[in-house]
Amino acid sequence: MAPVSLRSIKKNYGNVATIHGVDIDIADGEFVVLVGPSGCGKSTLLRMIAGLETITEGELSIGDRVVNELEPKDRDIAMVFQNYALYPHMTVATNMAFSLEHRGASKAEIAERVNWAADILGLKPLLDRYPRQLSGGQLQRVAMGRAIVRNPQVFLFDEPLSNLDAKLRVVMRGEIKGLHQRLGVTTVYVTHDQIEAMTMADKIVVMNAGRVEQIGAPLDLYDRPANLFVAGFIGSPAMNFIGGRITPEGFAAAGITLPLPAGNLPASNAVYGIRPEHFALTDAGIPATVLLVEPMGSETQVSMQIGEHQVIGIFRERLRARPGETIHVLPDLDLVHLFDADTGQRLN
Amino acid sequence: MKTDLSPRLRVALYGLLCVLLIPFVFPTWWMLTSSVKPISDIFAFPPDLWPRRFDFSTYAKVFELQPFARQYWNSAYIAAIVTLGTMVVSSMAGYAFARIKFPFSNTMFMIVLLGLLIPSEVTIVPLFQMFLGWGMINTHWPLILVPVFGAPSVFATFVMRQFFIALPGELEEAARVDGLGRFKIFWLIALPLAKPALGAVAIFTFLHSWNLYLEPIVFLSSTQMFTLPQALTQFTDAYGGAMWNIQLAAATMTAIPVLVVFIIAQKQFVEGLAHTGLKG
Amino acid sequence: MSLMTETPPRKRPFWTMARRDAAAGYLFIAPQLIGIIAFVLIPLCLVFYYSLHEWNVLANTFNFVGAANYQMLLADRALPQVLLSSAIFSVGLVVLNMSLALLLAVLLDQKLKGITVFRTLFFSPVVVSLVAWTIVWSFLLQNNGGINGMLAMIGVEGPNWLRNPTTAMISVIVVQVFKNVGLNMILFLAALQGVPKELYEAARVDGAGHFKQFRRITLPMISPTILLTSIITIVGSLQVFAQIAVLTQGGPGMTTTVLVYYLYQQAFQFHFFGYGSTLSILLFVIVAVLTFVQWQMRKRIVFYEN
Repeated sequence: MAPVSLRSIKKNYGNVATIHGVDIDIADGEFVVLVGPSGCGKSTLLRMIAGLETITEGELSIGDRVVNELEPKDRDIAMVFQNYALYPHMTVATNMAFSLEHRGASKAEIAERVNWAADILGLKPLLDRYPRQLSGGQLQRVAMGRAIVRNPQVFLFDEPLSNLDAKLRVVMRGEIKGLHQRLGVTTVYVTHDQIEAMTMADKIVVMNAGRVEQIGAPLDLYDRPANLFVAGFIGSPAMNFIGGRITPEGFAAAGITLPLPAGNLPASNAVYGIRPEHFALTDAGIPATVLLVEPMGSETQVSMQIGEHQVIGIFRERLRARPGETIHVLPDLDLVHLFDADTGQRLN
Repeated sequence: MKTDLSPRLRVALYGLLCVLLIPFVFPTWWMLTSSVKPISDIFAFPPDLWPRRFDFSTYAKVFELQPFARQYWNSAYIAAIVTLGTMVVSSMAGYAFARIKFPFSNTMFMIVLLGLLIPSEVTIVPLFQMFLGWGMINTHWPLILVPVFGAPSVFATFVMRQFFIALPGELEEAARVDGLGRFKIFWLIALPLAKPALGAVAIFTFLHSWNLYLEPIVFLSSTQMFTLPQALTQFTDAYGGAMWNIQLAAATMTAIPVLVVFIIAQKQFVEGLAHTGLKG
Repeated sequence: MSLMTETPPRKRPFWTMARRDAAAGYLFIAPQLIGIIAFVLIPLCLVFYYSLHEWNVLANTFNFVGAANYQMLLADRALPQVLLSSAIFSVGLVVLNMSLALLLAVLLDQKLKGITVFRTLFFSPVVVSLVAWTIVWSFLLQNNGGINGMLAMIGVEGPNWLRNPTTAMISVIVVQVFKNVGLNMILFLAALQGVPKELYEAARVDGAGHFKQFRRITLPMISPTILLTSIITIVGSLQVFAQIAVLTQGGPGMTTTVLVYYLYQQAFQFHFFGYGSTLSILLFVIVAVLTFVQWQMRKRIVFYEN
């Protein structure tokens, strides 16, 4: 187990810069999730940590070693790939033993480690099978078994759940998290799914277009997104954004004035952000025209129009409104986010 | 196109296939049966589909007239070395062209592909001169070196490259993380997975070497050194007329072992060929 | 963890990951590349060099004559016949081979019991030794051989196949087609089986009959295979030597003397190495031009490429 640190890491392909200087500190035993839309550079970053991509500039350390020029095998890492990358011509047991064999471990030691890993992941009955005989979830588990068998300093996961169906994904999410709690190995996990990021991470790194947008604990990102991108990316359904202007009377948007949280905010063009779940139904709030009601059982999701803006609200109550009717809602002022209209940076 | 056929259509199709089959199967049958006919029966009229009289002495004569066992061995060991050598050379080159990034790899691939444009027939004169200079005329070296390293192996390299291009990159990356260098990745991961392509390459190469005719007659001069195709044409009487039954006995011995191996392994054989990069 | 002081720029080792990998790449291709240079490129240059010389091995002469051999090529009265024979042979072979291969592939693509037995049998000549196969056919095609024997039984008097100018060429082509058509057949069969079923189902829903399905779906979908096999077959047809040597020795007259056979005669029977080299250059140019033309046609005839 070891901390990992990235210092001004850059990556160019020819003249095209794809990673523009990234700094991340990952503490010993921490579970860090790199999340962002596809093409944001999160996988490239992970592959640079693994040693599968060269680092154009900057410094990458694992433990107290700078590893920029080390081969993957010398970095003491283990990786779980998106398509599992199990060797098709080897049994589950051989797949798991493969890396140990190439590190000169003794037969007894290999057997012991494979057994231990198979035990943890419930792979014992599958050891003699070939990958083509396994289901998606089993393949996933074997891929994890292969990673833990070596007891590496760092685990790397590259979108490991993206090939599973929704139900299995939730189960495996729990298993990976459980495994981390049990083994305590530093983990870097890449996903494009912000729910995976929220539920699994100790720390989330939100990336966009080759830059880090924000680093923080999941709830910090949810509660205090540093900019418009993070605000829009974290949370589902996404935060509502309403463009307008901060005035002493309130937030002036097209066709409506919204209440502002207390505090001194300079008058300026801004974006008003409010999460769907932070609207409350009231008798006398802001009038909103109902466009679409989607009952989910535990809650009700409503598309509605406020002034000239279309927003989404989620309510615990079972709303009986029909499209076209008017309801009254109030944003929770403690949970309103304001962003600079030009820079997208957080104002409050 | 696959639809269930009506019984009448089915019978018609079987009939058509059987008729079409005649020129593919009959020659082999005729070779087998004629090789055990006495010379007087060989042009009998009407033709006998089954020998009237058997004369197995033709097979003994094959070995009396020529050092046939030695020639058989020549062909077999040359084909074996060429096949093995081509598999090594082409799988390595095909792998590198498909999976390793290095400067000028495209240019070098183009140079190698030139081999497809320049069949050995074009270069046979200078090759003869080169091997003459190296003292390798009337040795088997030209029949081994040229196919393994020269133009004939380029097709194999192309097939291997097509196969390796389709190999998932993740497997190699997993192997790198697992502690393997390039050579071990090639040897332990890529090559075992390339068995179908290697099989196809082996078949092509073996048949090519086994059938070589122009090269042996250019490079070899003594009967001891002859390969089978060359030897087969040498069974003539004092006037240059073909000794048909003996020649056919030699042809039978040349053809049947490969045919038997093929029929035993035909599934792997045919599918190996079909599932290489030849699909485009 | 904390990195408060600026570290000086790190010296990169010379053997970076990329360099090590590149070195491995060169090592992997070295045998093939060196082989191509030694046994293809250098000989090709030598062929060109030789073609500028008058070189008779028996007379032990080797004189620079410039383009004289090429002038001789243009004046060679036998050459038009040789090129014509080559053209007839190649065209006949390719047309017959490709259409028979496609027909067999379509027939073998049907749902029928025992179809793999047929597949094996049609393929079997491919693995029969080439010279053995040719010798058997030579035996069958003799004037008093098996084929004329069969024909006589139904009251037809067959020609002396290998001694008649027209039938000699047909015989040479047909023998070669039966020998090798199995290979193209298998490649076509694989291509046919690779066409997604849904396309045929969609076409049937759209009301296309069998013939239309074949023309509008099957042919375009397998066109990459057709192109590839046609290149291989054409280039292969220009290399045919053993069949001619065994069946007809280029005769009767020069009717079956194709370019490679003529080249062999000039260089190794008459020992004109210089002129033989000039003929080699001609063969190379023909192969190169044909390959180039077919490659250019790819865009026009290949409707689909993955």
